[in-house]
Amino acid sequence: MTDEDLLLARLRSGEQAAYKVLVERYQGAMRAIAIAIVGMSSADEVVQDSWLSVVRNIDGFAGRASLKTWLLTITANAAKTRLKKQRREVFIDDIAGPHGTIGADRFKADGHWQQSPLGWHTDSPEALLDEQELRECLDHTLTSLSELQCSVLLLRDRQCLELEEICNLLEISHSNVRVLLHRARLSVFATLEHFEDTGEC
Amino acid sequence: MLTCKGLVAQSSDLLDGSLSFRQRLAARTHLAICFHCRRFIRQMRISQRVIRTLPEAPLPDLEHLLRAISEQRAAQSDDHNER
Repeated sequence: MTDEDLLLARLRSGEQAAYKVLVERYQGAMRAIAIAIVGMSSADEVVQDSWLSVVRNIDGFAGRASLKTWLLTITANAAKTRLKKQRREVFIDDIAGPHGTIGADRFKADGHWQQSPLGWHTDSPEALLDEQELRECLDHTLTSLSELQCSVLLLRDRQCLELEEICNLLEISHSNVRVLLHRARLSVFATLEHFEDTGEC
Repeated sequence: MLTCKGLVAQSSDLLDGSLSFRQRLAARTHLAICFHCRRFIRQMRISQRVIRTLPEAPLPDLEHLLRAISEQRAAQSDDHNER
């Protein structure tokens, strides 16, 4: 029996502690999906509705997809239902983070680096994140991205969803997901680089 | 010939393994001769891991949510018993 089978059995038997595990494990990804589709203001309500729908339907879960995919699909559907009620324009906007991006000004006319990346004092993410100020700085960068951009970044680089899965859940094209992801990553990169260079946010 | 600017533009696709065979070959050739771009790609990978490692914002309404889940379950089992 896999870890997931075991958890599923506990959920079906109605064990409240199992729901707590499930919420703690997947709430972040569900929230990212909801924010990407309906925006921050209604996201928590959508996630709450999704959980109630999970409780109602857990007995019918056939296990063809993974539990995670099932949860995220329920969330995406709940968000889309909500969206029909409050039409919100989803567009590929171009919001750069507070420390900019790696733009054309970093390169010479011939396409070589004008201002090449500096070395960082460590390669370890944990060591980098030891700095409380950097953690806050990154939070600031993430909240300054568009909701869609931030969600796509978190779904890919934190929740490790495949690009294909993100396209399907959010109903946006592969090329749009790639553009959003690339811009978000460059904004995060720019923040880390700025912090390494100056020691401040 | 792929430039540094071109390599940076393709960097996310490179990380995600979304480049075509030709593009991947061009990127690898460029990286073999360009120290700055090798450093850039390494730092992009570190950035990805930083995002993965960054502590998640706490769930503010966890207790509330768990209570709602528990009430919903209780309501369902009442329904079930009445049937």
